[in-house]
Amino acid sequence: MIPIRVEGARKRYGQTVALDDVSVRVEAGACLALVGESGSGKTTLLRAVNGLTRLDGGTVHVRGESVRSLDPVALRRSIGYVQQDSGLIPHWTCQTNASLVPGLRAQPNAAERGRAALARLGLPPDDFADRYPRELSGGQRQRVAIARAIAAEPDVLLMDEPFGALDAITRFEAQEALAEVRRSSNVTCVLVTHDIGEAIRVASRVAVMRQGRIVTEAEAGQLCSQADGYAAELIARSGVRA
Amino acid sequence: MTPPFSRAALLAIGLARGAVLGAGGISAQSPPPPPKPAAQEPVVVGSKSFAESYVLGEVFALVLEDAGYRVDRRLGLGETELVFRALLAGEIDVYPEYTGTGLAAMLGEDGPSDRTAVLRRVGLEFDRRWGLRWLPPLGFENNYAMATRPGAADSLGLRTLSDLQEAAGGLVGGFSPGFIGRADGLPGLEARGIRFGETRALLQAVKYAALTQGEVDLIDGYSTDGAIARYDLAVLRDDLGFFPPYDAAPLAGPGLYSERPGAAVALSRLAGWIDEETMRRANERVELDQMAVAEAARLLLAESGFLDDASPPAAAAPRGERAATGPWAWWVRLLDRIWHDRAALAGQTVRHLLLVLGSLGAAVLAALPAGLVLERRRAWAESALRGASLLQTVPGIALLAFMIPLFGIGAAPAVAALFLYSLLPILRNTYTGLVEAAPDAVRAGRALGMTEAQLLARIRLPLALPVIMAGIRTAAVINVGTATLAAFVGAGGLGDPIVAGLALRDSAMILSGAAPAAALALFVDYGVARAERLAAPKGVRAR
Repeated sequence: MIPIRVEGARKRYGQTVALDDVSVRVEAGACLALVGESGSGKTTLLRAVNGLTRLDGGTVHVRGESVRSLDPVALRRSIGYVQQDSGLIPHWTCQTNASLVPGLRAQPNAAERGRAALARLGLPPDDFADRYPRELSGGQRQRVAIARAIAAEPDVLLMDEPFGALDAITRFEAQEALAEVRRSSNVTCVLVTHDIGEAIRVASRVAVMRQGRIVTEAEAGQLCSQADGYAAELIARSGVRA
Repeated sequence: MTPPFSRAALLAIGLARGAVLGAGGISAQSPPPPPKPAAQEPVVVGSKSFAESYVLGEVFALVLEDAGYRVDRRLGLGETELVFRALLAGEIDVYPEYTGTGLAAMLGEDGPSDRTAVLRRVGLEFDRRWGLRWLPPLGFENNYAMATRPGAADSLGLRTLSDLQEAAGGLVGGFSPGFIGRADGLPGLEARGIRFGETRALLQAVKYAALTQGEVDLIDGYSTDGAIARYDLAVLRDDLGFFPPYDAAPLAGPGLYSERPGAAVALSRLAGWIDEETMRRANERVELDQMAVAEAARLLLAESGFLDDASPPAAAAPRGERAATGPWAWWVRLLDRIWHDRAALAGQTVRHLLLVLGSLGAAVLAALPAGLVLERRRAWAESALRGASLLQTVPGIALLAFMIPLFGIGAAPAVAALFLYSLLPILRNTYTGLVEAAPDAVRAGRALGMTEAQLLARIRLPLALPVIMAGIRTAAVINVGTATLAAFVGAGGLGDPIVAGLALRDSAMILSGAAPAAALALFVDYGVARAERLAAPKGVRAR
């Protein structure tokens, strides 16, 4: 069964076309990067997967079921989600934050799952469990946010510019932490980024979006050789070598 | 000057129609049976907010107590309009009024200028229109006395009211707010061609000072004022026959004359006992010598011979016991006063707190849910908040006045006005607190499957709580201050000594209410600030 399948997705906001007949699928265990400039529709597409965006036309199927037919709250609890500003709940400790989804899903040992998730992101629970978000660095906060997204061990993980606000070194560490998560599980990811270099490094497959359409889609390793037109321009601008 | 009535004549006027006491009442021939002290409700005695009215209210209270009735004193309720409304509403049972005021201000008539005729006219008309009864007059008139500085009287050639028709254009008049509005006041004078170059509204308490200091040229004094003699002011003779006679008498509602006729009998016995000189002395003691109202009232009854056992203390002590001297004298007097009045002040503080807590509690109960609704319907937020801030711009005293037609007088209009005043800070802070509560965390929570109720209960409200508490704190402090104005609508509280002090020209009395009110505001501010700190969730609490 294909974890994520989008067919003919359309969405407009007033006069602006955000998605214009987009179809894409993500295989189990794969990581699809959606790359493009702001306004290209990549975040709208990502948010259609867990029902935060309601499409005007087309369908999204998650694990073979139409998103439209599912209870949005239950759907979102089954899917990990990371946003650019960590979105940690400021008056909760790291452990409480990380245990949020297991708690919402009434899984047993929610706290333990939160601690385990922190550990997987390289944040020793003994040091971090009782700290509040404002006592962390930006990179640490983002790792707690990823821990929160995977603590319930979802099979699908959505990430919207998860490393966008981090400096280069912190970003590299956070990317490594995510890579480790992917290696140790069979999670299917969708990653939104404006950085094509990051897309090639982190994802297994890359879709380049422009004005609500996917203009190029390729395996990450083959993008540089296959890209033409706009995608090639993006690659050249970013300085990534083939 | 009209010769005083004999007591028998006054009784006869008051009882002519059997009105006062009903069918089985007393007559001048057979002395009344001793009134049955009622174990029931106390008789509520009101008064207007100037010295003489306070004294007469207290006189009524003492007489009623002497006859065995329990009395609830609601003295200094405000200007005529307010006290009259209170009587109509049955919130007070009796208060001292003047027949001329009844004729001109309440009935709006020009009417007769003869004492007996005026009394008969108001007696008939008040009963017919409102079911109110004038008890027999006390024996003196308190007429309007247009007064000016003696020097000014000479230099301007002012002797009579008609002299004003020429001179008024160049004069500044300082009048009590009531006088400016009533038919037997400024409008009536203007109708007779007396137009002042400028008029200023002045409280009774400051009128004489304004006149002697030359701020104004002419004031509306009262003929029984202690100050007219004391300051040697020149009173213009009413050669126009403009002012009706103002015979002082108890004006009673059905709560008194039909439910407790014995109490009406007791007050009727005061008929003719108080002459102008006795009244003026009592006013002087209160206004100029700072004697306590209760003391002055007791002295008055003793001097008039009405109550034998109300013997005055050897030396009439001024309000505030010891007469200290030296630079600290005034402060000693203030502390003395606060100590002396501690029981009353404690009661007023409790009442003040109840007013504040009642209105604030209601405002929290209304504004919190309203803020929650606005957060869901943000399109409404702007107009709702604008409406609430509009309320805030209405001056406190005006807002209180607007509440009177809706709620009468007493605690209800005060609580309603304070409630409206408290809405804005709480509503605004609830709304902004919720909107600004970690929007990124709310977005993430929603994306991870929190329901809207969970977002509200677990993220928004806890983060908004300190902001909401800050709003409650602002409202509470405003509320404690504004509640002092509530005394103007008879709600009591720490405004009572302030209003009374204003009326009696007694700054120590004003401060004895103002200082505890300020302390109360600080205390409430501190208390809610502590609660505010405790309400802040740990992760975001300022250290």
